[in-house]
Amino acid sequence: MATQTSAPPKQDLSVEQKIQQFRELFADAPELGKKALENALHELKSQASDLPPAVESAGRVGARLGKVSELTIIVPLAPGGAKRLRGFLRLLRGNLSQGANKVGTLHNMRFVFFDNDTRLLFATAFDGDWDTYIDDFVAKIPDYLDIIDSAWEGWPGIRSPGAKDYLIKHQITAEGWYVAHPDLTVAETHRLKRIGKAVDEFLDKIG
Amino acid sequence: MTTLEQTRTVQDRVAEKVKKVRELYADAPEVGKVALEKGIDALKLELAAATQRESAGRIGARRGKVSELTAIIPLEPGGGKRIRGLLDLLEGNFKGADVVGTLHDMRFVLLDNDTKLFFATAYDGEWDAYIDDFATKIPNSMDILFCNCKGWPGIRSPVIKDWLVSHQLTADAWYVASPNLTVAETKRLEKVGAAVEEFLDKIG
Repeated sequence: MATQTSAPPKQDLSVEQKIQQFRELFADAPELGKKALENALHELKSQASDLPPAVESAGRVGARLGKVSELTIIVPLAPGGAKRLRGFLRLLRGNLSQGANKVGTLHNMRFVFFDNDTRLLFATAFDGDWDTYIDDFVAKIPDYLDIIDSAWEGWPGIRSPGAKDYLIKHQITAEGWYVAHPDLTVAETHRLKRIGKAVDEFLDKIG
Repeated sequence: MTTLEQTRTVQDRVAEKVKKVRELYADAPEVGKVALEKGIDALKLELAAATQRESAGRIGARRGKVSELTAIIPLEPGGGKRIRGLLDLLEGNFKGADVVGTLHDMRFVLLDNDTKLFFATAYDGEWDAYIDDFATKIPNSMDILFCNCKGWPGIRSPVIKDWLVSHQLTADAWYVASPNLTVAETKRLEKVGAAVEEFLDKIG
């Protein structure tokens, strides 16, 4: 993990030291990568010296940038689980908007089957802290979760005290996490949409 | 306007689907079967609201204006170490992504003891245009990151798109909270919101 390195904290490194580390890191990279690194050094220099808000933790697990966090879970599927879940999602035409809108803190969410339907990848972008987010799911759409997650090998049920441990065990924190609008929650985006509409109406009236 | 007949058609369609879901879950674990029955009313609403599946073009799902790209790619030996080191040195800084301008979010996740990269983005519009944007706006950043993947042909290679398609997986479900907002439109709304606050401050 990135946190296990014994190197000094990154913010203490000068830009030149960082560039040196980039080069060391790419010493045994494919030729194409080495060349690209040299081409991009001036961009990297400006990136390394002009830092945006740092990526933080979403709480127990996961990365967060500003107000927006990432959750990435990979689970083994129970026998027959892929068939059932695929069929379920197909009947919904891949649309889970009613339930997801209800949670209210979900920016986006995807379900992807891989490794010949033996594993499922579940990835979301959400607002704030991990524990609160999971609690929201539990409080607002517990049945949905169980319908979907019962395809997962060993899923204990969302009301089980072991549910969060199960999720943490299968969650993998992203090494890189980018969000275009890190200061906008789902609720704030909805508010801005309403303001935008009101302004348009206002301008129409006085126009 | 919804005629009585249309309502009936929707109801029939939903009833048919509910039947199918029940069949599908006949051999599900108990926790799933119970949840299905408890959640059946909410599920009916969801089934009635389900719209046509949309595509991002060559590959990937789209909801309104927002598309998903999901790829799982085997890494070169040492590739995981390099990607981790690179992202660590950049401290999560992706100015390049701002330059592309159509990217809502993006994540890099190392899987299976650093032997694979899971790469996922939410972006605006069509797949082909999106890849073209990466290739023209941040070609070097693309090569630096993805040269660590097995068989990466280079972003300028004529076969780059075929290579990407061969590693991309289309999501079976894709949800977006504000499907009608592109990155650019969200930026505009942020400005409108700030202007409105200033305006209200001034007259307040």
